[in-house]
Amino acid sequence: MKFSIYRFNPDVDKKPYMQDYDVVLEDSDQMLLDALLRIKDLDDSLSLRKSCREGVCGSDSMNINGKNGLACVTKLSDLEEPVVLRPMPGLPVIRDLVVDMTQFFEHYNSVKPYLINNDAPPEAERLQSPEDRAKLDGLYECILCGACTTSCPSFWWNPETFVGPAGLMQAYRFMADSRDQALDERLENLEAPDRLYRCHNIMNCVDVCPKKLNPSLAIAKIKDLKFEQAREHKVIAKKKIEIKAI
Amino acid sequence: MVIELLTKRYPGMRAWLMQRLTALIMAVYSVMLFLRICVLQPDTYAAFLEFFQPTWFRIASWLFWISLSIHAWLGIRDVFKDYVPNMQVRSGLLKILVVLLWVYIAWASWLFLM
Repeated sequence: MKFSIYRFNPDVDKKPYMQDYDVVLEDSDQMLLDALLRIKDLDDSLSLRKSCREGVCGSDSMNINGKNGLACVTKLSDLEEPVVLRPMPGLPVIRDLVVDMTQFFEHYNSVKPYLINNDAPPEAERLQSPEDRAKLDGLYECILCGACTTSCPSFWWNPETFVGPAGLMQAYRFMADSRDQALDERLENLEAPDRLYRCHNIMNCVDVCPKKLNPSLAIAKIKDLKFEQAREHKVIAKKKIEIKAI
Repeated sequence: MVIELLTKRYPGMRAWLMQRLTALIMAVYSVMLFLRICVLQPDTYAAFLEFFQPTWFRIASWLFWISLSIHAWLGIRDVFKDYVPNMQVRSGLLKILVVLLWVYIAWASWLFLM
């Protein structure tokens, strides 16, 4: 099977180049990651990330024939030859298919992706009704592979300011959590013009998500919540004015 | 009520909401324009002049134009923000855009309101 793989070693190469490989695969090689490991046996200078090999860790996300995805869950039989592999776009390349995800995780951290609850911890766990728990479906499954964020043009053009689909979906995951008490704070955190509203519903994120999640819908729900919050603030502000007048 | 939300307190939501409000106005006007053309079927220049004669329709057309200008401003500003990283070039382009949109608004005001 033929492959064309992006190669760049900043210690040696002045600029990136594409290297062709023609690999004989075994019957057991079903997924793209299997082929990549076969290539790595032939050329151990090829760098890539991988870990779980079953679409759970999100390490081996890369650009596969022009579309972001996970090598470990991409079937070789679905790919056209030569298979063109590049690092995920929009992030600095460390080496070959490995990108620097610092920016991605800075945005992720900026939405405070953890439960904020100031009540005293209960003896056992914080309980949820089955209905409230169901609200987290389609949100908590994100594996932070970065495929969505790095396929988003709004992120390419505004990487320092736009949180990106993955970060925003995690922001909504905690907004939607009945145990969380920081909805207002979370919404205020996204008010700066570029943090949330740079999303223009291009929906590349939905197209590429290897877990079939819908970050675009989560972003739309945050915008709805922001609208509701603004309306509530207006009511509160009016009440304060009324009290003063009396 | 919605107008009160278009304040500096919500810098992010302001543009987003404004874009949707203006889109709504343009959508309503477009349907109205289509229905009006279907009913009145103006086929001559004189008929078109007559078509735009009622005051309410001229005000509606002017509102459509204002909405289009605001919508275009927000949209093109985003495009420039994405694709023109050089601040001086971007600022120059935005200034040209503002002048152009104001000229169009003045022209539309003269057409529809004078």
